[in-house]
Amino acid sequence: MPVLRFRPERLYELTGIDLELLRELLFKLKCEVEESEGYIAVEVNADRPDMFIGEGLARAVKGIQGLEEGWVKPRTIDSGLSLRVEDVPSRPYIVAAIVYDVNIDSEAYLEELIQFQEKLHEGLGRSRRRAAVGLHDLDKIPSKNLSYRMVSVDDEFIPLGYSKPMKIRDVLERDEKGLAYGKISRLGDRHPAIISGDEIITIPPVLNSNITRLDVGTRNLFIDVTSTSLETAEAILNIIVSNLAERSRAIVGLVRINSPWGGYYPRLEPRAMSIKANDVNSILGTSYSLEDIATMLRRMRYNVYIRGDYAIIEIPPYRIDVSKPIDIAEDVAIYVGYESIGFEKPVMLYAKRGEYSRLSRLVKIIRTILVGMNFTEVMQLSLVSPTIVDALGFRDYSVEVLNPVQVDYSILRPTLAATILKVLRENTHMSKPLKIFEIGPVVYRSNGGIIDEECLAIALMDEDASYEQLQAVVYTLLRTLGVTFTVRKAIRPHTMDGRTAEILVGGVAVGYIGEVKPEVLEAIGLDYPVVLAEISLNKMVEKAD
Amino acid sequence: MSGIVYIVSESEYRVLRLMIEKGFSTGSIRQASHILGIDKSSLASIFMLLRDKGLVDIKEVSIKKPKLTDKGLDVLSKGFPEEKLINILIESGEASIADLSRSLGPETSIAIGQARRKGLVIIEKGLVKLNVSAGEALEIINSLKKALEDCSRGVNPGEPYYSELRDRGLIAEIEERDLYIEVRGDLRSIIETVRVEASRLTHSMLKSGTWRMYKFRAYDVTLEPPEILPARLHFLREFIEVVRDIFKEMGFKEVTGPIVELELFNFDILFQAQDHPAREIHDSLWVKAEPADLRGYMDLIDRVSRVHESNWGYRWSPDIAARLMLRSQTTAVSARVIVSRPKPPIRFYTIGRVYRHDSVDATHLPEFHQLDGIEGYPGYTFRDLLGTLRDISERLGLEVKFKPAYFPFTEPSVEGYVRLPNGRWLELYGAGLFRPEVLEMADVDYPIGAWGFGIERLAAAYYNIQDIRLLYTTNIEMIRRFNVKGWV
Repeated sequence: MPVLRFRPERLYELTGIDLELLRELLFKLKCEVEESEGYIAVEVNADRPDMFIGEGLARAVKGIQGLEEGWVKPRTIDSGLSLRVEDVPSRPYIVAAIVYDVNIDSEAYLEELIQFQEKLHEGLGRSRRRAAVGLHDLDKIPSKNLSYRMVSVDDEFIPLGYSKPMKIRDVLERDEKGLAYGKISRLGDRHPAIISGDEIITIPPVLNSNITRLDVGTRNLFIDVTSTSLETAEAILNIIVSNLAERSRAIVGLVRINSPWGGYYPRLEPRAMSIKANDVNSILGTSYSLEDIATMLRRMRYNVYIRGDYAIIEIPPYRIDVSKPIDIAEDVAIYVGYESIGFEKPVMLYAKRGEYSRLSRLVKIIRTILVGMNFTEVMQLSLVSPTIVDALGFRDYSVEVLNPVQVDYSILRPTLAATILKVLRENTHMSKPLKIFEIGPVVYRSNGGIIDEECLAIALMDEDASYEQLQAVVYTLLRTLGVTFTVRKAIRPHTMDGRTAEILVGGVAVGYIGEVKPEVLEAIGLDYPVVLAEISLNKMVEKAD
Repeated sequence: MSGIVYIVSESEYRVLRLMIEKGFSTGSIRQASHILGIDKSSLASIFMLLRDKGLVDIKEVSIKKPKLTDKGLDVLSKGFPEEKLINILIESGEASIADLSRSLGPETSIAIGQARRKGLVIIEKGLVKLNVSAGEALEIINSLKKALEDCSRGVNPGEPYYSELRDRGLIAEIEERDLYIEVRGDLRSIIETVRVEASRLTHSMLKSGTWRMYKFRAYDVTLEPPEILPARLHFLREFIEVVRDIFKEMGFKEVTGPIVELELFNFDILFQAQDHPAREIHDSLWVKAEPADLRGYMDLIDRVSRVHESNWGYRWSPDIAARLMLRSQTTAVSARVIVSRPKPPIRFYTIGRVYRHDSVDATHLPEFHQLDGIEGYPGYTFRDLLGTLRDISERLGLEVKFKPAYFPFTEPSVEGYVRLPNGRWLELYGAGLFRPEVLEMADVDYPIGAWGFGIERLAAAYYNIQDIRLLYTTNIEMIRRFNVKGWV
């Protein structure tokens, strides 16, 4: 979830609400508030990018507090700017807008604006792969005629934060931002750029030019959004423009986009949806009247018009998360508050008979029998280190993680021997015999497929642990469970030939008992003999019927 | 006896019985040891205890005892001088003093003097002759020899021998301290009033009925006993069993699903766009394996592709859906359940391991257990969902509060916070009604509420464990000593 930092004085100026109440109201609006280092950190849910800046937060807060309601479309004028779109195969779409009189009057606001842009990049922009935003000081843009096209990476511009012109290639291959985002839209020796007059003012999605940089004192903003999806580009532009237009006296300037899909942007048209009271009530389990619902939705900043049994809802263009009646219902619930909406025990569901899975039922019994035979239960992660899998000779049967974080957790244990022997190794100082068992998942390859099953392992470590000691335990366990089984000699990679038996239930091998090979013990670092039994509980459940 | 009962130990009792059997009631320790066949030092300490209990009196006495001098020892091995003289006279009848001097050397005058004093010989005309018969003479000599032997064993031979031997410098007198025992009263009646103190009641006491004669010693019941290290069930799984039982009681049916899962069930059916950041490589774990075969899911895939493409506006790829990953949420199991289109009303839950792209630290593990529950029927509402979550929390013994949230697959979405006994709020549930898009993909036509929560964080709070890694300890001793006290 995105976390945004705000100056407390900014939020107070925007809302007129003190921090305690603000915290409560924001909690109702899916946000969590913490104070840190002189800032207020607000965790906003990813589906509300319109609240990633103070103005957006304030709009929602003032609505839910009943101070303001509905939505007013910002006033727009033609800016006279036009942007010609050429063929940019790696990032074909661009939309743009101007907001006059945004008036960056403080460092705090500038900080927030940059943060807003970054959070939009991360979420909706999918780390700039899908979309990226450029914010420019309109008054520093050289010409009203702009174009968006591919340029040579050998072309030069003054990147943001630099004082001298640089080749685009060098920016992409050396600058921090270039290294992070330089590969997204680059096509060989060409890269997308917006050009105004003769100047490159940005190379989306990487870096703007220093020419159009924002500063405290910047009044008017030019905003570009480039994307691989027109819909995303429009959505992001609407969110930005709507929020900047909340600044006092701000006016939106339209930019003409010259392209087959183009026209004047931004398109701040609300979407309409009509609902009946029951559409909300049947989802929430409430019984609000249509009028109640309309009032609540207005405070959630929708425009609502009642027409008979229907409410016509105008969804502001920045509310990209709303598309279905259920989204409207959620906003009603949020307005009421999840603590106030009430609850009901779904009584009819309690009439059902609860059941453990067959596996859980079996596991419950096995555990009590084994602890009764003095075996202590251990529990380990199923992700293990390749070293132990190699020591057991199971590498060929094992399934590896493609993108592990740590090598110690990079392979799924193909056998519980991997973890149970590791546990024994850490406990050789305990008094012997040491008796333990583990129940948990193993994952291994078999006949070209991946098998994923719940297993039981029982281990006994002693000065001179031997097969028959554990054999007695396994036989007792299986007979107590009422499982009919047979055994036969078997071979396993990690247990001694001639001292390993396979357990068969219904003619299928479900497990084995065996003394661990001395070379395996040595490789693992164990200097006491161990007898081990392992049984697939999935197979046993299946075959025991 | 007026109800007085003497409490004695097992060994004291044994001594009293022996005294009756062997007829010893008065005498020195030495005699007692001899008669009872028990070594003196054990016997002495037992008599001391019996004295403290008022059963016997003990007097300390000193006894004079003879001990051979060097001269006495010499005589003991070589014989008395007068004995040698008598032996010569028995052989030769009579002998001149001069002859005797040659045989007896310097002992001659002692030999003659002693023999004369005892009236064994007379001297006539310079010749020494026997005054009594040979038999009589030997008898007298032998008595004296026996007396010396007695003295060598520390036994007083009585008079006149003792004085004679002492006067002749053959023995010295030493003084030895001894204990003199005397039973207070009649042993046979005393023993009737005695109860043996026993530390343990035994099978043989019960079998023979002899428990009646025992008095069972009182223990210090407040003493610390030795520690036991029992075999134990693992505390984390025990906690999972508690949760399992709660869901069973509420009428939930438990289901299971695979750990190695298709992205289709982990993400696509849950309405996560294929380019959604949550599907990126740094959030989840994938396995090195060929993609799964989707041929078994053709109808499902049609619906999934239609819903994704019409709602998210991108080209949905079956190749991505077929990739195998380690499930990042057990909602994947719930997804499989709803795709099987169960007949409502439904109430299912699963508890299983999920995997995340996290490194191990005190609050993170790359894998942990997650519970996922679903329920629904035609007419099921959001308030029903909140009612169920409230009930689960109550059964866990926790207060709950709800906050709006966002998950791609639910709407309305809710997060449930529970208040721990220490007052801290723990973010526990992620929940909501499955979005219509999810139901459409699963081809289900009634509302379904869903929720999940991580087991480990709750278990750690339950057991008051600060470091989540301890839940997967390799320390068997810790498991065997684990204190299972929680708040329920």
